[in-house]
Amino acid sequence: MALEFDRNILGGEFDRAEHETVTAEELVAFARALGETSPCYVEAGPELVAHPTYCIRFRGRKFFPDNLPEGLRTRMSFDAGKDIDFGAPIRPGDRITIVSTLHELYEKTGRSGTMVFVVVRFTMTNQRGERVATVDNRMMYRGEG
Amino acid sequence: MAPARRFDAVFEGDDLGPVEHFLAKDQVRAYARAVDHYFPRFTDDEAARREGLPGMITPGNMSMGLLTTLIDGWAGPGNLRRLGVTFRGLVLPDRTIRLCGAVTQKDEATRTAELDVWIESDEGERLVIGTATVSLA
Repeated sequence: MALEFDRNILGGEFDRAEHETVTAEELVAFARALGETSPCYVEAGPELVAHPTYCIRFRGRKFFPDNLPEGLRTRMSFDAGKDIDFGAPIRPGDRITIVSTLHELYEKTGRSGTMVFVVVRFTMTNQRGERVATVDNRMMYRGEG
Repeated sequence: MAPARRFDAVFEGDDLGPVEHFLAKDQVRAYARAVDHYFPRFTDDEAARREGLPGMITPGNMSMGLLTTLIDGWAGPGNLRRLGVTFRGLVLPDRTIRLCGAVTQKDEATRTAELDVWIESDEGERLVIGTATVSLA
Protein backbone atom coordinates (compact mmCIF):
# COMPACT_ATOMS: atom_id res chain seq x y z
CA MET A 1 0.00 0.00 0.00
CA ALA A 2 1.42 3.39 -0.97
CA LEU A 3 2.37 5.76 1.80
CA GLU A 4 -0.50 8.15 2.46
CA PHE A 5 -0.14 11.38 4.38
CA ASP A 6 -1.31 14.97 4.39
CA ARG A 7 1.14 16.82 2.13
CA ASN A 8 0.44 20.02 4.05
CA ILE A 9 2.83 18.80 6.73
CA LEU A 10 5.75 19.30 4.30
CA GLY A 11 7.73 22.51 4.51
CA GLY A 12 6.37 23.81 7.79
CA GLU A 13 8.80 24.93 10.50
CA PHE A 14 8.51 22.64 13.51
CA ASP A 15 11.53 23.68 15.54
CA ARG A 16 13.91 26.63 15.93
CA ALA A 17 16.98 26.47 18.12
CA GLU A 18 19.86 28.85 18.74
CA HIS A 19 23.17 27.38 19.80
CA GLU A 20 25.84 28.77 22.07
CA THR A 21 28.60 30.92 20.63
CA VAL A 22 31.12 28.98 18.54
CA THR A 23 34.63 29.02 20.01
CA ALA A 24 38.00 28.69 18.32
CA GLU A 25 38.88 25.79 20.62
CA GLU A 26 35.97 23.67 19.49
CA LEU A 27 36.64 24.39 15.81
CA VAL A 28 40.26 23.30 16.20
CA ALA A 29 39.34 20.18 18.22
CA PHE A 30 36.83 19.17 15.54
CA ALA A 31 39.29 19.61 12.66
CA ARG A 32 42.10 17.83 14.51
CA ALA A 33 39.83 14.86 15.25
CA LEU A 34 39.45 14.43 11.50
CA GLY A 35 43.23 14.50 11.06
CA GLU A 36 43.06 17.90 9.36
CA THR A 37 46.27 19.92 9.17
CA SER A 38 45.36 22.95 7.01
CA PRO A 39 46.20 26.10 8.99
CA CYS A 40 42.81 27.67 8.25
CA TYR A 41 41.16 24.85 10.25
CA VAL A 42 43.64 24.19 13.06
CA GLU A 43 45.42 27.46 13.85
CA ALA A 44 43.55 29.91 16.06
CA GLY A 45 43.60 33.44 14.64
CA PRO A 46 41.76 35.70 12.22
CA GLU A 47 41.92 33.17 9.36
CA LEU A 48 40.36 30.32 11.35
CA VAL A 49 37.14 28.88 9.90
CA ALA A 50 35.17 25.75 10.72
CA HIS A 51 35.90 22.57 8.84
CA PRO A 52 32.98 22.25 6.37
CA THR A 53 31.14 19.40 8.09
CA TYR A 54 31.37 21.07 11.50
CA CYS A 55 27.84 22.34 10.77
CA ILE A 56 26.34 18.85 11.17
CA ARG A 57 27.10 18.85 14.87
CA PHE A 58 24.20 21.28 15.25
CA ARG A 59 20.67 19.98 15.63
CA GLY A 60 17.35 21.23 16.80
CA ARG A 61 15.68 20.52 20.15
CA LYS A 62 13.44 17.92 18.56
CA PHE A 63 14.33 15.92 15.49
CA PHE A 64 10.89 15.04 14.12
CA PRO A 65 7.70 17.06 13.92
CA ASP A 66 4.78 16.09 16.12
CA ASN A 67 2.58 15.59 13.05
CA LEU A 68 4.71 12.84 11.51
CA PRO A 69 2.36 10.08 10.22
CA GLU A 70 1.26 7.92 13.10
CA GLY A 71 2.78 4.73 11.63
CA LEU A 72 6.26 6.26 11.87
CA ARG A 73 6.11 8.08 15.18
CA THR A 74 7.04 5.19 17.43
CA ARG A 75 9.34 3.26 15.09
CA MET A 76 13.11 3.18 15.09
CA SER A 77 14.73 4.98 12.15
CA PHE A 78 18.23 4.74 10.71
CA ASP A 79 20.49 7.50 9.45
CA ALA A 80 20.56 6.74 5.72
CA GLY A 81 22.60 9.75 4.68
CA LYS A 82 22.87 13.50 4.46
CA ASP A 83 23.07 16.23 1.84
CA ILE A 84 24.77 19.49 2.72
CA ASP A 85 24.63 22.67 0.69
CA PHE A 86 27.35 24.90 2.11
CA GLY A 87 27.00 28.66 2.57
CA ALA A 88 29.10 31.20 4.47
CA PRO A 89 31.91 29.70 6.56
CA ILE A 90 31.36 29.35 10.30
CA ARG A 91 33.84 31.37 12.39
CA PRO A 92 34.60 31.76 16.09
CA GLY A 93 32.06 34.06 17.71
CA ASP A 94 29.21 32.95 15.44
CA ARG A 95 25.85 32.05 16.91
CA ILE A 96 24.07 29.49 14.78
CA THR A 97 20.29 29.24 14.55
CA ILE A 98 18.68 26.10 13.14
CA VAL A 99 15.23 26.04 11.63
CA SER A 100 13.86 22.51 11.14
CA THR A 101 11.30 21.57 8.52
CA LEU A 102 9.93 18.28 7.24
CA HIS A 103 11.23 18.44 3.68
CA GLU A 104 10.23 15.14 2.08
CA LEU A 105 8.48 11.89 2.85
CA TYR A 106 8.57 9.04 0.35
CA GLU A 107 8.54 5.29 -0.01
CA LYS A 108 10.95 3.15 -1.99
CA THR A 109 11.05 -0.55 -2.72
CA GLY A 110 14.41 -2.19 -3.20
CA ARG A 111 15.96 -5.63 -2.97
CA SER A 112 15.56 -5.65 0.81
CA GLY A 113 11.88 -4.67 0.67
CA THR A 114 9.94 -1.47 1.24
CA MET A 115 11.48 1.48 3.03
CA VAL A 116 10.11 4.85 4.03
CA PHE A 117 12.38 7.89 3.96
CA VAL A 118 11.81 11.00 6.03
CA VAL A 119 13.95 13.99 5.10
CA VAL A 120 14.32 16.60 7.82
CA ARG A 121 15.89 19.83 6.63
CA PHE A 122 17.99 22.02 8.90
CA THR A 123 18.47 25.56 7.60
CA MET A 124 21.35 27.10 9.51
CA THR A 125 22.06 30.81 9.70
CA ASN A 126 24.52 32.92 11.66
CA GLN A 127 23.82 36.01 13.77
CA ARG A 128 24.10 38.21 10.64
CA GLY A 129 21.33 36.25 8.95
CA GLU A 130 23.72 34.62 6.47
CA ARG A 131 22.95 31.03 5.56
CA VAL A 132 25.86 28.83 6.63
CA ALA A 133 24.41 25.49 5.52
CA THR A 134 21.30 23.64 4.50
CA VAL A 135 21.44 20.06 5.74
CA ASP A 136 18.97 17.41 4.58
CA ASN A 137 18.95 14.47 7.02
CA ARG A 138 17.64 11.32 5.34
CA MET A 139 16.15 8.93 7.91
CA MET A 140 15.04 5.48 6.83
CA TYR A 141 12.32 3.21 8.23
CA ARG A 142 12.14 -0.42 7.16
CA GLY A 143 8.71 -1.66 6.09
CA GLU A 144 5.70 0.27 4.85
CA GLY A 145 4.62 3.54 6.34
CA MET B 1 43.62 29.82 2.42
CA ALA B 2 45.34 27.73 -0.25
CA PRO B 3 44.31 28.55 -3.82
CA ALA B 4 41.72 26.36 -5.52
CA ARG B 5 42.76 23.73 -8.02
CA ARG B 6 42.76 25.14 -11.56
CA PHE B 7 39.76 24.31 -13.75
CA ASP B 8 41.98 23.79 -16.82
CA ALA B 9 44.10 21.23 -14.96
CA VAL B 10 41.13 19.01 -14.09
CA PHE B 11 39.73 16.34 -16.41
CA GLU B 12 36.73 14.05 -16.22
CA GLY B 13 37.95 10.71 -14.95
CA ASP B 14 40.68 12.19 -12.75
CA ASP B 15 41.07 10.36 -9.45
CA LEU B 16 41.06 11.82 -5.95
CA GLY B 17 43.23 9.64 -3.78
CA PRO B 18 42.88 6.90 -2.85
CA VAL B 19 44.11 7.93 0.57
CA GLU B 20 44.67 5.06 2.97
CA HIS B 21 43.83 5.90 6.53
CA PHE B 22 44.15 3.81 9.66
CA LEU B 23 41.09 4.75 11.67
CA ALA B 24 42.16 4.41 15.30
CA LYS B 25 39.59 3.98 18.06
CA ASP B 26 41.06 6.97 19.83
CA GLN B 27 40.47 9.12 16.76
CA VAL B 28 36.79 8.13 16.75
CA ARG B 29 36.58 8.89 20.48
CA ALA B 30 38.22 12.29 19.89
CA TYR B 31 35.62 13.07 17.23
CA ALA B 32 32.74 11.95 19.46
CA ARG B 33 34.11 14.18 22.22
CA ALA B 34 34.60 17.15 19.85
CA VAL B 35 30.96 17.06 18.73
CA ASP B 36 29.61 16.29 22.20
CA HIS B 37 28.27 12.99 20.88
CA TYR B 38 30.08 10.77 23.37
CA PHE B 39 27.70 7.82 23.11
CA PRO B 40 28.86 4.32 24.06
CA ARG B 41 28.41 2.93 20.54
CA PHE B 42 31.11 5.37 19.37
CA THR B 43 33.46 4.95 22.29
CA ASP B 44 33.32 1.46 23.79
CA ASP B 45 33.35 -2.01 22.21
CA GLU B 46 31.48 -3.80 24.97
CA ALA B 47 28.74 -1.20 25.19
CA ALA B 48 28.36 -1.25 21.41
CA ARG B 49 28.02 -5.05 21.43
CA ARG B 50 25.25 -4.74 23.98
CA GLU B 51 23.42 -2.66 21.35
CA GLY B 52 23.81 -5.50 18.86
CA LEU B 53 26.73 -3.95 16.99
CA PRO B 54 29.95 -5.83 16.19
CA GLY B 55 31.94 -3.32 18.27
CA MET B 56 32.29 0.45 18.44
CA ILE B 57 31.40 2.18 15.19
CA THR B 58 32.34 5.42 13.48
CA PRO B 59 29.63 8.11 13.47
CA GLY B 60 28.22 8.66 9.99
CA ASN B 61 28.94 12.36 10.38
CA MET B 62 32.61 11.55 10.96
CA SER B 63 32.68 9.54 7.74
CA MET B 64 31.38 12.64 5.97
CA GLY B 65 34.11 14.67 7.63
CA LEU B 66 36.80 12.25 6.52
CA LEU B 67 35.55 12.41 2.94
CA THR B 68 35.67 16.19 3.21
CA THR B 69 39.37 16.03 4.10
CA LEU B 70 39.93 14.14 0.84
CA ILE B 71 37.95 16.68 -1.20
CA ASP B 72 39.51 19.67 0.56
CA GLY B 73 43.00 18.28 0.09
CA TRP B 74 42.34 17.98 -3.63
CA ALA B 75 40.30 21.11 -4.39
CA GLY B 76 41.79 23.40 -1.73
CA PRO B 77 40.08 24.50 1.50
CA GLY B 78 36.90 26.52 1.16
CA ASN B 79 35.93 25.21 -2.28
CA LEU B 80 33.42 22.52 -1.33
CA ARG B 81 29.95 23.72 -2.35
CA ARG B 82 27.80 20.61 -1.81
CA LEU B 83 28.25 17.13 -0.40
CA GLY B 84 25.69 14.33 -0.27
CA VAL B 85 26.33 10.84 1.07
CA THR B 86 24.55 7.56 1.67
CA PHE B 87 25.61 5.38 4.58
CA ARG B 88 25.62 1.81 3.25
CA GLY B 89 27.62 -0.11 5.82
CA LEU B 90 29.23 0.23 9.23
CA VAL B 91 32.61 1.94 9.28
CA LEU B 92 34.48 0.08 12.00
CA PRO B 93 37.53 1.62 13.65
CA ASP B 94 40.82 -0.11 14.34
CA ARG B 95 41.31 -0.92 10.68
CA THR B 96 42.38 0.74 7.47
CA ILE B 97 39.88 2.51 5.23
CA ARG B 98 40.40 4.10 1.83
CA LEU B 99 39.09 7.55 0.92
CA CYS B 100 38.44 7.63 -2.83
CA GLY B 101 36.97 9.90 -5.46
CA ALA B 102 36.77 10.67 -9.16
CA VAL B 103 35.79 13.64 -11.31
CA THR B 104 32.58 12.84 -13.18
CA GLN B 105 31.75 16.17 -14.84
CA LYS B 106 33.03 19.70 -15.36
CA ASP B 107 30.96 22.83 -15.88
CA GLU B 108 32.72 25.64 -17.74
CA ALA B 109 29.99 28.21 -16.98
CA THR B 110 30.22 27.84 -13.22
CA ARG B 111 33.85 26.62 -13.12
CA THR B 112 32.83 23.72 -10.93
CA ALA B 113 33.41 19.99 -10.99
CA GLU B 114 31.15 17.14 -9.94
CA LEU B 115 32.76 14.31 -8.00
CA ASP B 116 31.91 10.81 -6.97
CA VAL B 117 33.40 10.10 -3.53
CA TRP B 118 33.38 7.02 -1.36
CA ILE B 119 34.93 5.24 1.60
CA GLU B 120 35.88 1.65 1.10
CA SER B 121 37.01 -0.99 3.52
CA ASP B 122 40.31 -2.80 3.25
CA GLU B 123 38.34 -5.57 1.49
CA GLY B 124 37.09 -3.11 -1.14
CA GLU B 125 33.49 -2.81 0.08
CA ARG B 126 32.02 0.67 -0.42
CA LEU B 127 30.70 1.63 3.00
CA VAL B 128 29.83 5.27 2.29
CA ILE B 129 29.11 6.65 -1.18
CA GLY B 130 28.37 10.18 -2.27
CA THR B 131 28.66 13.04 -4.69
CA ALA B 132 30.11 16.50 -4.28
CA THR B 133 30.42 19.80 -6.12
CA VAL B 134 33.61 21.87 -5.86
CA SER B 135 34.59 25.27 -7.19
CA LEU B 136 37.74 25.49 -9.27
CA ALA B 137 39.93 28.51 -10.09
